[in-house]
Order: sequence, then structure tokens, then C-alpha cells
Amino acid sequence: MKLKNAWLAAIGTAVCLTMGGCSDSSQSGKREIEILNYKPEAIDTMQKIEDRFNETHDDIHLTISSPNQAMTILKTRLIREDAPDIVGIGGDINYSNFLDADLFEDISDVEAVSQAKEGYMDIEKSLELVEKEGTYALPFAANAAGILYNVDMFEEHGWQIPETWDEFIALCKTIQSEGITPLYFGFKDTWTTLAPWNALAVENAEADVCTQVSEGNTTFEAEYKEVADKMKEMLEYCEPNPFAYSYNDAAIAFANGQAAMWPIGSYAIPQIHSNNPDLNIGSMVFPGTDNADDRILNSGVDLQFSIMKDCPDKEAAKEVMNFLYSDEILDLYLEEQGGVSAKKGDFETPENLNGMREFIESGNVADFHDHHYPSEMAVDALIQTYLLDDSDQAATTFLQKFDKDWQRYNRELIRRLKEENAGNESGS
Amino acid sequence: MKKKKLSRKEKTYIAILVPIVLLFFLFNTWPMLNGFFYSFTNYKGYGTYQTVGLQNYIDLFQDERVLHSYLFTFKYAICGTILVNVISLIMALGLNSRIRFKSALRGAYFVPNILGGLIIGYIFSFIFTYILPALGEMWNIGWLKNSILSSPTYAWIGVLIVGVWQAVAMTTIIYISGLQTVPEDVYEASRVDGAGKWTEFFKVTLPLIIPFVSINLILTTKNFMMVFDQIMSLTSGGPAQSTESISFLIYKNGLDGGQFGFQCANAVIFFIVIVLFSVVQQQITSKKEEQL
Repeated sequence: MKLKNAWLAAIGTAVCLTMGGCSDSSQSGKREIEILNYKPEAIDTMQKIEDRFNETHDDIHLTISSPNQAMTILKTRLIREDAPDIVGIGGDINYSNFLDADLFEDISDVEAVSQAKEGYMDIEKSLELVEKEGTYALPFAANAAGILYNVDMFEEHGWQIPETWDEFIALCKTIQSEGITPLYFGFKDTWTTLAPWNALAVENAEADVCTQVSEGNTTFEAEYKEVADKMKEMLEYCEPNPFAYSYNDAAIAFANGQAAMWPIGSYAIPQIHSNNPDLNIGSMVFPGTDNADDRILNSGVDLQFSIMKDCPDKEAAKEVMNFLYSDEILDLYLEEQGGVSAKKGDFETPENLNGMREFIESGNVADFHDHHYPSEMAVDALIQTYLLDDSDQAATTFLQKFDKDWQRYNRELIRRLKEENAGNESGS
Repeated sequence: MKKKKLSRKEKTYIAILVPIVLLFFLFNTWPMLNGFFYSFTNYKGYGTYQTVGLQNYIDLFQDERVLHSYLFTFKYAICGTILVNVISLIMALGLNSRIRFKSALRGAYFVPNILGGLIIGYIFSFIFTYILPALGEMWNIGWLKNSILSSPTYAWIGVLIVGVWQAVAMTTIIYISGLQTVPEDVYEASRVDGAGKWTEFFKVTLPLIIPFVSINLILTTKNFMMVFDQIMSLTSGGPAQSTESISFLIYKNGLDGGQFGFQCANAVIFFIVIVLFSVVQQQITSKKEEQL
């Protein structure tokens, strides 16, 4: 008898251990909403938003978590079937994949959706792998990528802002001849290679190049040749051995005035200011074309919110969405995190982005190309490999691998697109 | 047939054993079976999935990136295992001889094992990126001027240095305990027979500690094959994907990259490889064991 009890106790312990994680201590009687935000650098702002919400709402309790490596954490939680109620993510391939896996709720009836700028709603639409009815994401803030420069350094030396590729290269040569490093890269973190890559790609390749390749109409070898060549050319004007330094290292170096320009997105500004709050940062649209009028600003959705399909209390989640989209919250976010509002209305564009304002206001913008690249293909690492390759055929090798890997990693999507097209043709 | 009643002692043994077996099954065997199942699907880690038969395994053998990660891991594990065991054995011999501060030194050499892999990685990353190049500038040594971690050809050596530095600690401790099992009279006998220091080591010490060599070889090979922390903190698989180990790739593309099913297949193959490695090593070393 005693032994039996011991066994039961042991099994009980084992069961408790496995189930322990399920019983969260919830607030008394309140409806719980959890947001997982993928921008760890915005943790302080998110805390303020959370506090403001909880102060003004008695029936709903909001929690916003902003962990490091949030995307991995989110995916791990999805595998564990323990999803948050709302996710705050970027408008990139992850969103496309989640949407394609039918994880999100249609939010067309949320009031906030009608207040979003059309340009960003179009970008949301273009992120759907295969077109879908309804609205699934609320664009919140957008970012812009181009070149950040040290304003004081430019004024001191009387350098002009370049508007074409030739002017840009000429400026780099001038800066170099004065003994200053023109550009700084942090290519040890592979993703940083994508910043100049995207900015060059929107200006030197078609916007829908990825879909075109998937449908078999063209190849990257033909479309990305110029982008690849220009990427390589920039390596002559950066710090020695850019592959030794990380994104953080680059932010510190730029903040300390070790270089005149840094080709990166507006999202780097808070990072630079945390190292040197007094630095006067300016921004310019990437001068990547032969004609100044052909320039396009590289801008995409940096933060957007979606309600998960598994969310038990969708009404509460929708209320939270409307709260997030109030002018007060957007003002708070933009003031602390920078960026561009995705909501219609009179929002201040941060001073640092003055050089890009004209493009933002006229809507002369195009989404990041890498938002369409499958993450497991690791295009950033391919670009890094290419930049490290000294041989004459480097560009050809790289672009052919790009084409080959594209077919391999998009096998299922390409098959589905084919079926879709065949269906459309036979239907019409 | 007469049913044999369990004695009290046997009952106690079973009471201890059963919970462990249950826990082991729950946290080890069950997830493994799950992973085995997912390896036949195109599961991304979320959403719906279909079974795709052996497609993942066929892709696996044609995937350059996977192949490269295996080559890197084998190269790393073989070099690492040899280096760690040679260095540890020498250190153990030193720390087992009659020297001053023996216990303090043993403690000091064990410290790397206590520190976490990530912490060590970040510290070494700083040394490789800033301190060594600064020294290279100062003394004008060309090859030191660039961080070793930024070279696709040599970055793996940087990772290896850190891996070995950390692994030596534990291995040395095991060798020291091995050396202490060799009785003094065997040495006396060999000295009477006129054996020199070298003969003594190769003919007396080594054969008697072969069981320890064997366990160390298996442990270090396994640990080096599963290298992850060092890669995560030093290179993140770069530059140019030259330092992607198998476990790193499984984690990165399986959880982050939406290749959950495919990387499960990779994990199954990796599991088989590690088992084969251990069995072969066990076979080879057990033949060389000597008993007193």
C-alpha cells in the first residue's frame, strides 16, 4: 500500500512538472490581452503605452512584452501552441508566412484600419504571398533607409549632398583624400548588408522582381547585376575590413565621428544617439541612380499589429488596437522611437529625416526587397559571401547561386503560383 | 509457474527507477519521436502541414549548406578532440606531479568550465575584434591586424581556440583522477627494470589510464560535434556561412527560418551520426584496455 502511494506521488510530480507552465496567474476577473512586440529597443516606450492603457481601462488588462530575438521566441511559442493575442511585428517575410499559414484574424471591421495611409496598406497587400481577401495587419510606424550622415562634419568641410551615383562616388573620393573614412559598415552582422542592398535595389531593379522571377519571367542574374556591382564598388570607400565589425560597433564608430556616412535605416538613429546624444545626424535618399529624378526612397512598415486567430477575446483585442492607433500613442511612439507615422494625419516627421521628407510626403517610396526573400535562404549571408569574394566572376557566381537557391527555397510557392495562374487562364 | 514476490530491496529500486524512466521518456524519448515524425512533413513550425514522405531526406543530401555544415563540424570536432586530449593529458601530468600550490592551480585551471559558453564567447569576440588587431598594429604583425573572425578561411580557428580553451578544463580533471588510480608500486617496478620517463609514460601510465582516454575521447567528440554557444556568440555562422555547425543550422533554420520539418530530418541524421561515432570509438579504445 505504501509503495503504491509512493508511485502515485512520483507520477503526480511528473505530471505537475509538465503541466506547471499552463496555469498563469491572471488578474482578478479582468480580460487579459498580451502583445508580443518584436522591437526590443522600444521596450521603454512600450512600457509607457502599457501603463497608459491600464490606467484608463478597468475591464481589460494589457501586457506588452518586448524580448530580445522576439521572432525566434514567437516562433517557438507557436510551436508550443502558446501564442500571444496580438503581435507587433515588421512588414516582412515573417508576416507573409504567418498570414499564409492562416494565423491572423481579419480586422477589416476595426475602426483604426480606415485611418491608415493608403500607401502602407498597399505595401501590406503586396506582402501577401498569394492574394487574400480582407485586412490582416494594421501598419503603425514606417522606417526609411538610405544614408545617415554626420551633419557637422559635412558643414565643416563644405561637402554637398550627392544626388546621383557619380556624385556619390566623387564625394567618397573627396572625403577619402581628406583623410576621413567616407563610409562605415558593420558587415559582421550579416543583416546589415541588406540596408544598402535594399536601397540600391529599389532604385535599380523593378519593384515586383521577386514575383517576376517566381513566375519564370526573368532571372536575378539579369535584374540584380547593377545592384551587385554598386555594392562591391562601395567597399573601396569604407573602413578596412568591414567584416570584423558588428552593427553595434558601426553605431559606436559613427556616433564617435569615425566616418562621414553610414548606409543604414532610420531605425539606427536611437542606437547612435544612445552612444552620443549630441551627434547631429542627417539623412539622404540613397543616391543610387544616374539621374537624380529617378531616385526612390526605400521605406517599409517597421511595426504593425495583427490579432492572432487563436485569441480568445477578439473584442478586447480590437479595443486595444483602436487604443494603439490614437494620436496620443502614435505621438509618444514617434517622439521616442523616430520613424514615420503610418496613420493619416498631421504627424511630425523627425528632424533627422528632413532629407527624406519630400519623398515621404509625395509617396515616392518602395518597399524593402528583402521583405520578399525567404529567411531560411539567408540572402544576407549570400551578399556577405559575395562581398568577401575577390575573384573576377564574383558577381556571376553570386547571382547564379541567388537564382538557384531562389528556386529551391520557393519551390512550394512557385508551384502554387503556377496552379493559380493555370486556374486563372482556364477560368477566363 | 510460481509468481515470485519482489523483495523489499527490489521494490525500492523500482520505486527509484520508474519516475526517472518516466521523466526520461517524457522529456527525451517523446520529443525525439515527435521530431522523427515531423521530419516526414513540410511543417514550418506553425500553421498547417502535409506529410511529404522522404522529400526532406532527399533534399538534405543535395543541400550544399547542410553538406558544408557537416564538413565544418567534422573538421572542428576532429581537430578539437585531438588538441583537447593532448593538452589536457600534458596538463594533468603536470598537475599530478609534486609541485607547489597544486590544489590552487587545479582550481584555477577548472574555471573555464564553470563560465558559460556565451560569456566566454563574447569576451573572446572582443579580444579577437579589438585587442589582438591593436597589438598587431603596435608590433606591426601583418596577420594579426585583421580580426581572425572576419576571414572566411580562418574564422573556424578562432572558434576552435575558444572551444579548446573551455573544454580542456573538464578533460584535465578526468585525466587527473585517472592518473591517481595508477598505483605507485607499478612505477617503482618499472624504474627497477630501468625504464626511462618516456618508456614509463607510454608502456605503463598510458595503458593503465586507457579507460579514461576512452571516456574523454567520447565526451569531447560529442561536445565538439554539438558546438553551438561559441558559434552563436563569436560568428553567428559567418563570415560567408563558413562557420555554420550542424546544431547551429538546425536551430537557426528550424526555429527561425521556417524549415522545422526539414531540420528535424537533419537532426535525425545527426543523431545517427553521433551514435555511430561513439560506438566506433568505444570499439577501438576498449580493445586497448589493460587490467592490473
